[in-house]
Amino acid sequence: MITAILNARLLDPATGTDLPGGVIVENGKVAAWGQGVTEAPSGAGKVVDAGGLCLAPGMIDLRVKTGEPGEEQRETVATASRAALSAGVTQMVLMPDTRPVIDDVALVEFLTNEDPEVEARVHAAGALTVGLGGKAMAEIGLMKLAGAVFFTNGDEPVADASILKRAMAYAASHEAIVMSRPDTASLRGSGVMNAGSFAARLGLKGIPREAEWIGAARDLMLAEATGCRLILDQVSTARTLELLAEARARGVKAGATVAAHSLFFNEMDVGDYLTYCKVNPPFRAEADRQALIAALAAGEIDAVVSAHDPQPPEQKRLPFAEASFGAAGLETTLSAVLSLVHDGPLDLLTALKPLTCGPTDLIGIEGGRLAEGAPADLMLFDPGTPWKCEREDLITRSTNSPFDGRLLQGRVMRTFVRGCEVFARG
Amino acid sequence: MAREQSDYTFTGPHLLGLMGLNPLQLTSILDKADHYAEQARASQRGAPVLKNKTVINLFFENSTRTMSSFEIAAKRLGADVVNMPVAASSVKKGETLIDTAMTLNAMKPDVIVIRHSASGGVKLLSRKVDCAVINAGDGMHEHPTQGLLDTLTIRREKGRIEGLKVAICGDIVHSRVARSTTYALHQLGARVRLAGPRTLLPGDASDWGAEVVTTDIDAALDGADIVMMLRLQLERMDGAYLPSRREYFRFYGLTQERLKRAAPDALVMHPGPMNRGIEIESAIADGPRSVITEQVEMGVAVRMAVLDMLAGSAPS
Repeated sequence: MITAILNARLLDPATGTDLPGGVIVENGKVAAWGQGVTEAPSGAGKVVDAGGLCLAPGMIDLRVKTGEPGEEQRETVATASRAALSAGVTQMVLMPDTRPVIDDVALVEFLTNEDPEVEARVHAAGALTVGLGGKAMAEIGLMKLAGAVFFTNGDEPVADASILKRAMAYAASHEAIVMSRPDTASLRGSGVMNAGSFAARLGLKGIPREAEWIGAARDLMLAEATGCRLILDQVSTARTLELLAEARARGVKAGATVAAHSLFFNEMDVGDYLTYCKVNPPFRAEADRQALIAALAAGEIDAVVSAHDPQPPEQKRLPFAEASFGAAGLETTLSAVLSLVHDGPLDLLTALKPLTCGPTDLIGIEGGRLAEGAPADLMLFDPGTPWKCEREDLITRSTNSPFDGRLLQGRVMRTFVRGCEVFARG
Repeated sequence: MAREQSDYTFTGPHLLGLMGLNPLQLTSILDKADHYAEQARASQRGAPVLKNKTVINLFFENSTRTMSSFEIAAKRLGADVVNMPVAASSVKKGETLIDTAMTLNAMKPDVIVIRHSASGGVKLLSRKVDCAVINAGDGMHEHPTQGLLDTLTIRREKGRIEGLKVAICGDIVHSRVARSTTYALHQLGARVRLAGPRTLLPGDASDWGAEVVTTDIDAALDGADIVMMLRLQLERMDGAYLPSRREYFRFYGLTQERLKRAAPDALVMHPGPMNRGIEIESAIADGPRSVITEQVEMGVAVRMAVLDMLAGSAPS
């Protein structure tokens, strides 16, 4: 089967390409692409006129939670896949904090086995410790052989530095990547939003930024001591970026992700106790948000993640302090990042890089670029289309989006996985 | 400047470790042990060089194998042997340990063989006694007679040490055997490779004299003449250092398949006791390339040699 997508604006962050042209897909792979592709080859089964819209590699989301297994009422892998494809995300990494926890080979295989209901490409992150308990290291080597792309303790990082150090050392001997949320549970305490004057005014307990700084410093130093490849999960403060830069200058193999919503919101958006804005790490001060954007512009952030965390209404229709953390993010990642293009600080290719080749290069999986022979995972989008994010229009099963009611720009019109059209708008 | 005799021959006064012994000293022990090994194989009784001498086996850690080996060695040399297995729990640390040594010293033994769970524990006791002390294993420090018996086994099987590629695999960081054996083999010109998961590799292993320190056991085995598997303490596989037994066996266990990477005439060694199916497949442990029982045999010969050199009466 040959598919031709013609008359597009080709965007490939990996090669810095921004040119008019087309892509020819054959057997699920990119057979040809570029300015010279202006006609469908003879025998093309399907010809798509892109109408001048942007054609880019499908996005890769390194941090997606579903409720499967165990809490399917929140989200299943299939519903997350449909939400992802509608937003241009063609590959997603599922977090291990499910019930049961993804801490053995059988569960990794359960999540990543072919499923006709799941058209997005799914990868599993393995639990770093058994049951995410932070005590005994999980079967990192066997899970890596089964396809786990990295190992993480999820939202609750390993508190005991000695256990984390050994787990990182062990991971390093398997050339496995550890993703750690830089955090210090004892400092986070029962905080629910960014610590500061606004939290004080609302009468809410704060999560101090030093909880992240100390966690980041610890994780980076242990990565240096063990030689382990580390990803700092959802950096949220300016100073964490300084710690990251210093560690990288010392040769530490450290990557970093930022949650898309942290690029869009600040602590003031919690406003009138909006529980959809209750996330961990919390929305920080405006200066932190600006620092994250500057780091993105400077290419210091490897990946922007949705931090998709579907929570049912009964977990969010509660007093702020009692509500769950987490935001549904799969369907708003692209628009959140494009807002930085429309507002000026980023150009389109710089904005797309941490959504495409940034994450694939970080964890060493294929995809994320336009290249001959690369899998034809593509998204066709209009960066300027305005839309209003309405909860009831979202595809994800739990619609706890902080973007609810927001006016956004940029919509995905078609999505292709292995050359097959898996989503078309309208 | 004239060299001391001790530069050429091992003379003691103690055997606390192999680090610091030179090739001539090591060779002098191995030669003597070789002599005792041949004597035993010929079922000959040698001269009772320890006749009327007292050897105390003071074991603060349980060890049936090593204590029996020392006991047999001493008895073959005609010594009077007193075994003192001291359960670790019944002995308090510090002063009591020294008190024990002083008490024993007052009984005027000729040799005390000591095993202790604390690194440096044997050295501490050796300062408080007037007789020769043999370290039968102290904590994670040294186990010199094991290093010697490994070396002797290899020398007898291969006819040499120099140039041999020796892969020592498993729990290196907690192993006194790995330290002593590596020192001896390195001094005698072997090319030692240490392999294990990073949680079980010491940070300073490159200073031990090993040519290669790696987390890749397959790389360590490549063309190896000797494959030595170390015992893995089962409690280390509960998630603290390693995730599980099955994962360890998958990545670090010695299987027939993995052994194919070694030289066709490679010898397989293990200091025992073995965890079959975890660090070594049973078929290999019992197979034609295994010299594990020879190691036990050489253990007695080496201990006879050391006892003789430290306390034996000069041949008349």
